[in-house]
Amino acid sequence: MSNPAAESDTRSLEHRLDALQAGPAAAKPRRLNWLSSVWPPVVAIAVLLLIWQSYCWIAQPRPDLYPSVIDVWSAIVANWQSGRLPMALGTSLSRGALGFVYAIILGTLVGFLLVEVPLLRRAFGPIISGLQVLPSVAWVPAAILWFGLSDATVYFVILMGAVPSIANGLIDGIRQVPAHIRRVGLVLGAGPVALHRFVLFPAALPGYLAGLRQGWAFAWRSLMAAEIIATGGKLGFGLGSLLQQNRELADLPGVLATVLTILLLGILIEVGVFTPIQRRVLQRRGLTEAR
Amino acid sequence: MAAQAAITLSHVTKEFTGGVRVLDDINFTVSPGEFICIVGVSGCGKSTLLNIIAGLESASSGSVEVPSGRASVMFQDPSLMPWLTARQNVELALRLRGIGREERKAEALRLLDLVNLRDATEKLPHQLSGGMKQRVALARALAQDRAVLLMDEPFAALDAVTRDLLHDELERVWRETGRTIIFVTHNVREAARLGDRVVLMTARGGHIAHEWSVTVERPRQIEEPSVSTIAGSISGALRAELAKVHNV
Repeated sequence: MSNPAAESDTRSLEHRLDALQAGPAAAKPRRLNWLSSVWPPVVAIAVLLLIWQSYCWIAQPRPDLYPSVIDVWSAIVANWQSGRLPMALGTSLSRGALGFVYAIILGTLVGFLLVEVPLLRRAFGPIISGLQVLPSVAWVPAAILWFGLSDATVYFVILMGAVPSIANGLIDGIRQVPAHIRRVGLVLGAGPVALHRFVLFPAALPGYLAGLRQGWAFAWRSLMAAEIIATGGKLGFGLGSLLQQNRELADLPGVLATVLTILLLGILIEVGVFTPIQRRVLQRRGLTEAR
Repeated sequence: MAAQAAITLSHVTKEFTGGVRVLDDINFTVSPGEFICIVGVSGCGKSTLLNIIAGLESASSGSVEVPSGRASVMFQDPSLMPWLTARQNVELALRLRGIGREERKAEALRLLDLVNLRDATEKLPHQLSGGMKQRVALARALAQDRAVLLMDEPFAALDAVTRDLLHDELERVWRETGRTIIFVTHNVREAARLGDRVVLMTARGGHIAHEWSVTVERPRQIEEPSVSTIAGSISGALRAELAKVHNV
């Protein structure tokens, strides 16, 4: 009945068709890609700094109101050598990281809960979306009254900033999982736990990561705002506190130096942590847009 | 001949809310290892029938018996998990069956070899062509190790050349694995090419209009005169069904 010759012919024809249709996996010059995405912003920053410095050289404005790039750089060096900047950096980063970890845990739990219980989602969904719009700094006065000038105040404000974004990212991610992917999970015999673990959560990963990224941005902003408003007491000395202290000393180069440090840190975490993770996840799924 | 049937449908009826009857008193049996094609125009209820056999929808009345347990299902969309490689997609089905890690990998590679994808095991879905994705989906369905395989227009979205080769591939896999297959399609030639038996559904009302036994020797070719003759007769009956709709 079977015809081995015809069969092997089918197999080899199929191989050829596969090779034609799938095409070779394009080898990507990764290093070059990375460099090409780094140099434009670097040049842009250099040009901005040059314009700023040139203005100071040519127009000679009051250095206490309009410090030059060189003044600000000296302030960074001075703040670093005095030990205030390293201390502030360490405090803010460790608080930000720890607060963000709490926010991930809480936001993920809340997200899963709202995905699973439709009534809860309909009840709390709009509230969570609303909280996302409320600047979490607005919680600082209440938090100070509840927790005093302690780290709990700072963490509370971070949570209020980041949890809604993370929860919403997960909820949106899971709701956007195509119906046929969910159906295949069921057809393959996945129970409720396995369906979430092996199908829904991995499928929702891009949306969840977008939520994490936004959550971090909110957490970092909330942290800085909380540190500026709430200083002293049992609170550690963070970047926001340094900013506030430099303002009280009328040290504008010091203020700008701190602002630049905060900005730089934000960019570093964005470019160094979130962008590569997100790119890798999207690339694996063939979702990266052509450059 | 007296062997237990692989699938028995008795008096299966499906009504959607609003009283639209898509299936009306459907009765038929499928023998173990048989390849059945269900043909009909869009909206005739053939996919609903498949979903009922798969257990994805329930019948309004009547009974469906699949003594071997639940069936595995393949759809028009390959629905591979886009974050898993071809091998990992097959392994997911094995993992959900509770098979251990070592055995999982060996079995996945064996199944991918069966569908002629030995060289693409570590590729991601977006790196595969439509035909290759559908073969990974076939390997995944086989990984469920169920005697009955239900296929809902699995090749409808593929180009003619790929579909032709996949017919050969499916026929071989069917012969090597001894599965019972129910294959839903609107492509009459495809049905005549693949099926031991072809069942035509009425365009409206959800009945079985006609049945053909296809005794052409395998392996078959889609352009064989004997296959074309049967396709012609099915096609004629299908047109007659359509004509009835227009007369209403």
